[in-house]
Amino acid sequence: MKFASFVLCLAGASSLQAAEREFSDVVRVISEEFHTRPTSIPFFGLVNVFTETLRPAGARHIDLAVFEHLSDRDRDGRNLMESVQNAVGRSWKPFIKVRSLKTGAEETVLVYMRQEGRDWRLLVTSVERDEATVLQLRLNAEALVQWINDPEHHALRWHGEIGE
Amino acid sequence: MKYAIPVLFLALPLAAQEIKMPPGLDKLAAKASEVVDVSLDGALLQLASRFLSEKDPDEAHVKQLVGGLKGVYVKSFEFDEGNQYNQADIDEFRAQFRPPLWSRIVGARSKKNGENSEVFLKTENNQITGLAVIATEPKELTIVNIIGSIRPEDLRDLGGHMGIPKIDVGGDKKKTEKKDKEDDEK
Repeated sequence: MKFASFVLCLAGASSLQAAEREFSDVVRVISEEFHTRPTSIPFFGLVNVFTETLRPAGARHIDLAVFEHLSDRDRDGRNLMESVQNAVGRSWKPFIKVRSLKTGAEETVLVYMRQEGRDWRLLVTSVERDEATVLQLRLNAEALVQWINDPEHHALRWHGEIGE
Repeated sequence: MKYAIPVLFLALPLAAQEIKMPPGLDKLAAKASEVVDVSLDGALLQLASRFLSEKDPDEAHVKQLVGGLKGVYVKSFEFDEGNQYNQADIDEFRAQFRPPLWSRIVGARSKKNGENSEVFLKTENNQITGLAVIATEPKELTIVNIIGSIRPEDLRDLGGHMGIPKIDVGGDKKKTEKKDKEDDEK
């Protein structure tokens, strides 16, 4: 029984580590491609303190990296879509892939989503002409659906919970 | 033998998609000005359907339709210039839809603007279990593969949702135009 609990803890920890790794690997790919670092967002760490306690709209954890003032001149010229997919790993396939050159610059969007226990994990990578965003969200779908169906009621309830 | 079981499990998601995209299509991505690739499997479809409202009659209908689906796969290419895709790739893709499982139910060809649409239906034990659409224009190519219980007329209602393009299957142009206008107003 102790062994089973130990294995379960290890599995949970490795799944969390994998989640961290995928997000940070995608950020690294974009950093290396454009030779820049994500913009620092002051007090972003506090967001997760609130998110993990209050779970607004079903969200349980948020990771966000924003790159600004990107320039094609700084690029290495690799296939960004392929690099991001390699970083995430071939076992997790994006359910939406968009590559567009319509605006004159390459725009890439990759959206991943998978179920992890009762939660869903969403990883969105969007690279535009001069900015890029990597967002990872762990959310409880049931709570999110309830929020969407009745936002006013849930917002008021949430406000009440804050006030308590 | 020890690898047989893991390999079988790995092959399961591939079997669910059933229809093979010709390898030439991936090369097309380099020539296209826009490529959209949507792969929604059963679990994601069910999640997506939960976000559709039951209060809105249109969304409630789509929700009901999605309930019978096991997968939606869409690949769409847009080009700046005409004649970028190879007819042989389309023929290779089309060759998979052979009787007795598959039957072509719609084939629309317009010489005026070069638009062609074909709809294929998969039937097993008198039940519709899949649908495929090939829509080509001089500067556009869209391939849709829907797995699950779906009627051809449902395609119009699913159009505009989950990456499925708006397709006029029944030739009911007035109705489609009216729905498009309503969707645009929303």
